[in-house]
Amino acid sequence: MVLPIIEVKGLTYTYPESESPSLKDVNFKAEAGEFVLVTGPSGCGKTTFCRALNGLIPNSYGGEFRGSVVVDGLSTTSTPVYELAQRVGLVFQNPENELFCTTVEREVAFGPENLALSREEIAMRVEEALSTVGILHLKEKSPEELSGGEQQKVAIAALLAMKPKILVLDEPTANLDPLSAKSILELMSRLNESGVTVVLVEHRLEMVSHMADRCIVFDGGRIVMDGSPEDVLYSDSVADLGIGIPKVVLVSKHLNRSRNGSLRCLTPDGLASYVRGFPV
Amino acid sequence: MKVFKAFEFKRGSTVLHQIDPRSKLVYLILFTFLTVYFTNPVALLAIFLSFLPMVYIGKISARWQQSLRGALFFIVFIFVFNFIATVYPSWNFYGAAVSGIAMSLRFLNLISVFSIFFLTTSPEDLTQSMVQLRVPYDYALTFNMAMRFVPTLSREAQYIMDAQRSRGLEMERGNFIARIRNYIPILVPLIISSFRRAELVADAMESRGFGASKKRTSLYVLKMSQTDVLFILIVSTAALALFCLNLLL
Repeated sequence: MVLPIIEVKGLTYTYPESESPSLKDVNFKAEAGEFVLVTGPSGCGKTTFCRALNGLIPNSYGGEFRGSVVVDGLSTTSTPVYELAQRVGLVFQNPENELFCTTVEREVAFGPENLALSREEIAMRVEEALSTVGILHLKEKSPEELSGGEQQKVAIAALLAMKPKILVLDEPTANLDPLSAKSILELMSRLNESGVTVVLVEHRLEMVSHMADRCIVFDGGRIVMDGSPEDVLYSDSVADLGIGIPKVVLVSKHLNRSRNGSLRCLTPDGLASYVRGFPV
Repeated sequence: MKVFKAFEFKRGSTVLHQIDPRSKLVYLILFTFLTVYFTNPVALLAIFLSFLPMVYIGKISARWQQSLRGALFFIVFIFVFNFIATVYPSWNFYGAAVSGIAMSLRFLNLISVFSIFFLTTSPEDLTQSMVQLRVPYDYALTFNMAMRFVPTLSREAQYIMDAQRSRGLEMERGNFIARIRNYIPILVPLIISSFRRAELVADAMESRGFGASKKRTSLYVLKMSQTDVLFILIVSTAALALFCLNLLL
């Protein structure tokens, strides 16, 4: 039995200035190395959930916190955020607000500098993080001059320099064009293959559902579905929630109805080979 | 707002860019002092001329000139105001003109010396030099972030202005007071959104371990080189020469 790297038990949370809870009795477990896709309509508690995973909630936000969140063996209520930051990296929606230094290099160095590492170690981590993300050539640039996709990559590199075991991303592609979004999501998939646990909040299911091991759907502050991406996206109840079902799934469902089949593919390629008569 | 353009740093590779910010700080302090101390317009003009080689070496003449053009209005204003203020009891037109010119030159010199400093010093080097001058890191970082967010805020102000204009706000209407009041619908959203942004930036900082250790380290440490020593020597000599010139006049 492997210990879960993230364990959320009975989490109910209310923001200080709010009357009703944003998260209601959330239970969630993730194993090391999993790629968990989180989706759901706007205002359903996804962002709050992300903040709870790295301890910003309740440590920085206050409010009413019930239940428990344990990340890599540490309880978020009794561990300071800077301690958790070395285990969980959180990428935000708008990269403009996560970059506050004047060059990419300093931006990525900010985290390791806070940890009071030696200069050699910092330089090594910066180099490594930038090359993993593939933006070594942007080292000297100012974040202001970069495109949204590049900025988001800088933000990811800045977290990788902290060497976290878990990456939590809160709609990282919300402000990006489809091509940059694709490259960010593929980067996530690559990082996941190298052993990082990924929790990704995303609306672009079309692009990402086939990469994930698991899909979780939030609605009204609760987890309403939890299963493999196929199970969740092909279920009957998912259509009523505010989720963009991938077209591949819609077409497959249609084919299933007319041919009484049980097709469950998530990629255009899979669907295409089925239509051509090859086994999926 | 052209005046502010003069302080927007752009990366360069001249000697002046590579000199330690602390050496340039020596230069800044020396020449600011001389400018404030001198009253003779000829001496003040000499200071002004001494900026020319600096501007040439740092390859910043275009933006420096731009800043002077932007300051033209203030210079004329300072001259006129000074002239009127000094001419009144004595009716000495020559004396008033001289003092007006001196005051305008003083202003010109201050803009130039600060412009030379900021145009050739990167914000990150400046921040690092503050840290090494024992300014607490929180203050140095605040300064650095202020520099970083200037363009972001000005872009945001433009968005808000566009939004309010498209709803019918007329910025250029009315007398002086009314025009200032026209800015309220721009400023209120700008301030509120800045507060929100500040919270999000704070989240991002905490998520990267801000405050993890009492004494944080730094990727780069500034070191004084021989060029710095030479630079300080040259500017000190120049300052001394200007000081003597002022005594002779």
